[in-house]
Amino acid sequence: MKVKMISRNPDNYVRETKLQQHKMPRNYDPTLHPLEGPREYVRAMNATKLDRVFAKPFVCNLSGHRDGVSCFGKHPKQLSTMATGAYDGEVRIWDLANRISSRNFVAHDGFVRGIAYTRYGDRIFTVGDDKTIKVWKAEAPEIGQDEVPVNTILSKFGLHGISHNHKDNKFATCGEVCAIWDEKHNDPLKTLKWGVDTLHTISYNPVETSILACCASDRSIILYDQREAQPLRKVVLTMKSNKLAWNPMEAFNFTVANEDCNLYTFDTRKLQTPLKVHFDHVSAVTDVDYSPTGKEFVSASYDKTIRIYNAHHSHSRDIYHTKRMQHVVCVAWSLDNRYVFSGSDEMNVRMWKANASEKLGVIRPRERVNFNYQEALKQKYAAHPQIKRIARHRQVPRHVLNAQKKMRTVKEKEQVKEANVRKHSKKGKVPYVSEKKKHVLKEEV
Amino acid sequence: MSDDEEHYEPRAHKKLLQAIGNLGKVQHIQKSTRDELQSRQDEFQLMKSVSSAETERAPRSVGLNDLVEILRTSSKHKDAGKKLKNVQGSRKVLAKPLEKPAADRIRRTIGYEGVTKKLGRWDAVVAQQRSAETQIFPLPSETIYVNTSAKARPLNTRIKSDLAKELEASNIKLRELRKAQIGDTTDEKELAKQERQLLQKKLTRDELFARRKELAYLKMRESQKSAKARMQNKIKSKKFHKLQKRQKILEQMKEFELLQKTNPEAALEKLNELEKSRVKERASLRHKNTGTWAKNLQVRAKYDKDVRKDLAEQLAVSRELTQKKQESDSEDEETSKKRVAPEEEEIDYDPLNPWTKRKTVENAENGKAETEDSNWRQYWTKRNRNEKLLEKHRRDMEEREEEQDTKEQEQEEEEEQEAEDNASKKPSAKAKPNKKILKKSKVKIENAKKSLKKSKVKIENGWQVEEVEQIKLNGDSKTGSIDDIFEKHEDQLRAKLSKKLEKLKQRVDKLKDAPVKGKKTKKKDALKNLKSLALKKTKQQIEIDEPLNYEKEQEPQKKIPAQLESSAETTKSPPVDTIDPNKVTTLVFTQKKSSSSGINDALIDDEAAEYDEADAAAERQLTISQAFEDDDIIADFNRDKTKDSELKNTELQLALPGWGSWAGAGISQAVMERRNKRLLLKLAAPEKRRDDNKDNLYLNESASKLAREHMVSSIPFPFRSLADYEASIRAPIGRNFVPETAFRMLTRPAVITRKGQVIAPMTESELVKPDRRLRHIVDSRIKRIPKVPSKAKIAKN
Repeated sequence: MKVKMISRNPDNYVRETKLQQHKMPRNYDPTLHPLEGPREYVRAMNATKLDRVFAKPFVCNLSGHRDGVSCFGKHPKQLSTMATGAYDGEVRIWDLANRISSRNFVAHDGFVRGIAYTRYGDRIFTVGDDKTIKVWKAEAPEIGQDEVPVNTILSKFGLHGISHNHKDNKFATCGEVCAIWDEKHNDPLKTLKWGVDTLHTISYNPVETSILACCASDRSIILYDQREAQPLRKVVLTMKSNKLAWNPMEAFNFTVANEDCNLYTFDTRKLQTPLKVHFDHVSAVTDVDYSPTGKEFVSASYDKTIRIYNAHHSHSRDIYHTKRMQHVVCVAWSLDNRYVFSGSDEMNVRMWKANASEKLGVIRPRERVNFNYQEALKQKYAAHPQIKRIARHRQVPRHVLNAQKKMRTVKEKEQVKEANVRKHSKKGKVPYVSEKKKHVLKEEV
Repeated sequence: MSDDEEHYEPRAHKKLLQAIGNLGKVQHIQKSTRDELQSRQDEFQLMKSVSSAETERAPRSVGLNDLVEILRTSSKHKDAGKKLKNVQGSRKVLAKPLEKPAADRIRRTIGYEGVTKKLGRWDAVVAQQRSAETQIFPLPSETIYVNTSAKARPLNTRIKSDLAKELEASNIKLRELRKAQIGDTTDEKELAKQERQLLQKKLTRDELFARRKELAYLKMRESQKSAKARMQNKIKSKKFHKLQKRQKILEQMKEFELLQKTNPEAALEKLNELEKSRVKERASLRHKNTGTWAKNLQVRAKYDKDVRKDLAEQLAVSRELTQKKQESDSEDEETSKKRVAPEEEEIDYDPLNPWTKRKTVENAENGKAETEDSNWRQYWTKRNRNEKLLEKHRRDMEEREEEQDTKEQEQEEEEEQEAEDNASKKPSAKAKPNKKILKKSKVKIENAKKSLKKSKVKIENGWQVEEVEQIKLNGDSKTGSIDDIFEKHEDQLRAKLSKKLEKLKQRVDKLKDAPVKGKKTKKKDALKNLKSLALKKTKQQIEIDEPLNYEKEQEPQKKIPAQLESSAETTKSPPVDTIDPNKVTTLVFTQKKSSSSGINDALIDDEAAEYDEADAAAERQLTISQAFEDDDIIADFNRDKTKDSELKNTELQLALPGWGSWAGAGISQAVMERRNKRLLLKLAAPEKRRDDNKDNLYLNESASKLAREHMVSSIPFPFRSLADYEASIRAPIGRNFVPETAFRMLTRPAVITRKGQVIAPMTESELVKPDRRLRHIVDSRIKRIPKVPSKAKIAKN
């Protein structure tokens, strides 16, 4: 006969001081956890579901403009400040933390085409349809004083966009020509022209700061160097590019928002083929902006939605829309990588979370650990069909859904047609052309 | 005419002539003068070059020839002149400049090439960023500090006034005097240094602010601490105070240890202090169970085990306090004590159970006064002796029983020996387990001893009376005390032992005499076997506080014959002639299972580690299966199929014997039959298998369709092989399954951003930045993992 008795040594489970952590006996022997795989799978599934449950990206609506919002200007140093321009020439400065417009003034006759803060955010440059560049102080004037521009430059050419250099006191405007300006001169330092009618957007490279790129109305993208007397290169796509954004962490990559519902990411050194074609929009893409981490970008579209893409994926990670949001004209990603702003035709500026299900506010360490674990699990099991299905599922407006269907059928039809033609023609006569190569017409030297 | 001549003005006339002359090649626009920076040159601003007609009239410009002529005249510059002449002779006509578009194109190409080259610098940085396990934004900026203090020279520009000089001189004098008279040895230089430092300590505004801030912070901390202390004083929880005290003691101990190393004198003081406090505590009636607390508890002690424990603990503390003193009193005593002690300590001390030792101490003090040392010793020696006897007795008992066994086994043994002769070529390997058994049996005996002692201890201890059954020793343990039993059995034991020894000798002789079939080594084995068998325990002892390895002890005993058998089997198996394909397939199955249970390969990612014994075994099995590849697998396959369908289509008899059947006469068999028939649960008509008439097809119908929709159908992107992906999925990452550090490493997010911080674009300093110091401990841990380029990663790149 045996008498079995459990004798436990209190030293093994009683803590010596109250500052010590409780001893948690845990045996990691895998044979003792035969169901660890299924358990983690269930956890991953739950994490994915919770992610969708908490996916409420809309933060707030900033109303105040009396006409459609046309452009954004991000403050380079302050996260809570942003400037927006409207179709009626009004510029508003927003206090994002309090969700109010702290200041507004009419800057131009007609559209405000572009807003740019200077390097340290002490001044604002605006360009408008009235062929003027106006310089404003970033701080509001004292009470009783009028809003007057610090400087007004009359340009010889029409102006469609402005971009400020990230390191110099120089800025560039586009319109009929691309002009490089110094902050202290009223004449452009340089005008660069390459036989095009209108350049409608311009953007400085934030890393290699002397390089800049323009999109032209002849469906081309033109690269410039502010030190060179000549433009560098031109690449012509099948349709017009609306906006261009440089990757702030990868000096040579930029993305253009195109009229053909797609976005194209290019490597500056290999312009013949884009690195990636980003699909999913169902109407012209009007604006694009990179996240400050350079991992993702957000795009605005005429189809009344904004989409968030991973910079290296061809399909979007997320889609944001509301019933009242009309054609989105401009979009911006906040510099702390947390929020996305969209300005649309119906006079509203909207603020969204960059990560739809992210928790706002203070996150305790244990919470943080749990979120990290959930994220890791989601990533680990991402390929499992059920998890993939849940993670991918989005409700989209009906018009988008219909348009998607239509586009899909059109594409399928084209493919079938091409396959048939190929079948009935001589071998090699109808070559296979990759999707990337279809959209670039030529690269001009 | 004269009038005209009168009016003639040569200057005006000349002007007129010029104007007339210029009429054909008019240039209305004046040459522009530039007053501001202008990059763009209008065509209107340009002037035509001076026409040839004008040059004829104007004085000829200086040509190269003129220069050469002049140089020739002086002997000094003759050579230079010649050179110039040569240059002029060999000049070539420049090519016509390119067309503007072509020239522009070239310029653009050159510019673009320059830019691509410049952008190419970022490749490495970008690649590193993309492949980084964790990216932290904003990019941490490493400031590079250059120490220039070596080159810094203090400004020494102050001009000393006469008075200052005088003062200095007098100071020096004074110091010398002091040195001479009093022997003052304060270093002048040091003093000067201090003075300088004081002078330099003119604080800037920022520093002042910083200092004020610091002071404010300190004040705040102080107030916080005082508040905390006040609050703590109010806490009434006993447990809290207990814990706090323990903590304090721990801290003191640590401090003391540190002091011992660094400052032995201070340590000594500290020791004295500690001693003093101990004495104080000892003097007080603390831990004597005389306080109200103890008294209150004592009332409850009868019914509550925990309370008893607490009280005992309290007493133990007091004893500890006093005990220490004695130890330090005199070394002689200690040594004398020790001389006796080791045996008992050895027996007593169980490394697994820290309570045993303490309890004995308690016993000693509980039972008797501390002065009765000699009695104490006597008691223990006696007790030890008794225990030894007990052990002997027990051994004897075992042996007696084993004798019978051995007699029976003898014949078997002989057979076994033969088998061994055939089988074992490693006699040593066989001998080992026997030895082990020997050892283990000893261990067991010791255990038994311990347990016995414990039981006794518990009887003596006033507190810890736990319901433990007494050890049964041949049934008469209940009647008398243990000592009595021992005495009783002592004689018996001796007699039996001697008998036993004789018998053993006899048998050994027999074995020696017996015809030698094998080699000598085998004989030895047999001897050893015999011994081990003789000492083997057959009767299970009652055990209290039994260790967990109980089963292990039992196993080897059983294993001996099993091992023999298995060895025989293994020896038989090599010449495999007939192997069931069934068996082979099952083996394959087992191998799969075992491989699936090997987890965390992805974490370790070490191929060498994976290749262990199990794999080797699996390989062996694989080779076997490969050898019999062309056995009748198809038949086997079909059999599986039929078995499957059989299982599916069997009928179930629900009738139980006895149920519903009346006993006695008159109950016909037919009725029973009918009843049984009625109770036969008929299942649906045999289902047709989906792969019924397809010979080479086996559809697994037991596979769950519900599970199927959760399964991955294709290998996702970065992975290339199924094995890799499976391994990655199989490796758990939760903190329930992997240690905390691994968990943190595995769940480190890919991108970390901080709230409310602007993430600036990458700057050029990133290109020259040295390898970033990793601030987070998890990051540095991740970095320390030896990187084996796994297949998945390669695929990624």
